[in-house]
Amino acid sequence: MRRFLRENSIGLVFGVLFLIVLVGQAFAGLAQFNQDQLAAGLPRISLGRYLTSASFGADVAENWQSEYLQFFLFIYLTVWLLQKGSPESKSLDQAGEESDEDQKVGRYAQPNSPKWAKVGGLRRKLFSNSLGLVMGAIFVGSWAAQSIAGAAAFNEEQLGRQQDPVSWARYLTEADFWNRTLQNWQSELLAVASMAILSIFLRQRGSPQSKPVGAPHDATGVEG
Amino acid sequence: MHERAEAATAVAVRLLTATASGDGATACATLAPDTLAKVAADQPCTEAILDADLPRPGAVVRTAVYGQWAQVKLTDDTIFLAVFPGGWRVVAAGCTPRGERPYDCTMTGG
Repeated sequence: MRRFLRENSIGLVFGVLFLIVLVGQAFAGLAQFNQDQLAAGLPRISLGRYLTSASFGADVAENWQSEYLQFFLFIYLTVWLLQKGSPESKSLDQAGEESDEDQKVGRYAQPNSPKWAKVGGLRRKLFSNSLGLVMGAIFVGSWAAQSIAGAAAFNEEQLGRQQDPVSWARYLTEADFWNRTLQNWQSELLAVASMAILSIFLRQRGSPQSKPVGAPHDATGVEG
Repeated sequence: MHERAEAATAVAVRLLTATASGDGATACATLAPDTLAKVAADQPCTEAILDADLPRPGAVVRTAVYGQWAQVKLTDDTIFLAVFPGGWRVVAAGCTPRGERPYDCTMTGG
């Protein structure tokens, strides 16, 4: 049991932290929602009602979509894009999808390689891109969820202001949708750019996200 | 029509039907607390609401429900309602559209 926890501690710790923070967000969001309710002369709503509200759904989905977009772009674009001196980049001579030999697929597959790495055709193509495809699919799904929940939350606010609701298609052209979307995208893109560049010159001893402390600044594709 | 939309529509129609028939008590029972307080500021609600000149209940054109709010559009009026412990209550009535600006309502709690 101890060994299992130790060997899976990244997923477990981040998973538990995610749940704790999501619960915190739910209570903070409920408090804010009820402040707005009281200001409008309306009664408080319950936690259960808030958890199924469009407001909570939009707030959750808008952050999810941007995180999965960040990872999708980071995974996919770093196949080709390079950053000299960064541990987030491959070696400068490895840009692209690399050879079958480097990727251990087809006849270069090893006995313990995943089955779909050994076969050819569509299955290998799919498996070879499965990480980016799944991250991209979750991004598209959560962005769509943001648009649907965001439209309902926007319309609830519209009615509260004694204004007409808008259709989902119209909401996609509203400033509210693009403000929610772009404010998340810009922060994710800044985080990736700063991680790629700061890790050229800075170190975190023992972290696989950093180069070894003594590695030269121009060493590319080296993780500690 | 969805169950919540049906309930909101019924309250909106009850308000206009009651004022049209001179039933102030039934009309006042449909109002949200803040709206009721504003209507009853100078005289009893049962009398003041009949002087508010709300339109007669026309046909229901469309009802929109989002979360804690609903909008019932009738041929001659638009009514905004919100959820209270006792169900839907009228927050604003006698509302006319003003384009991108909020509706102009003869009866409101704000």
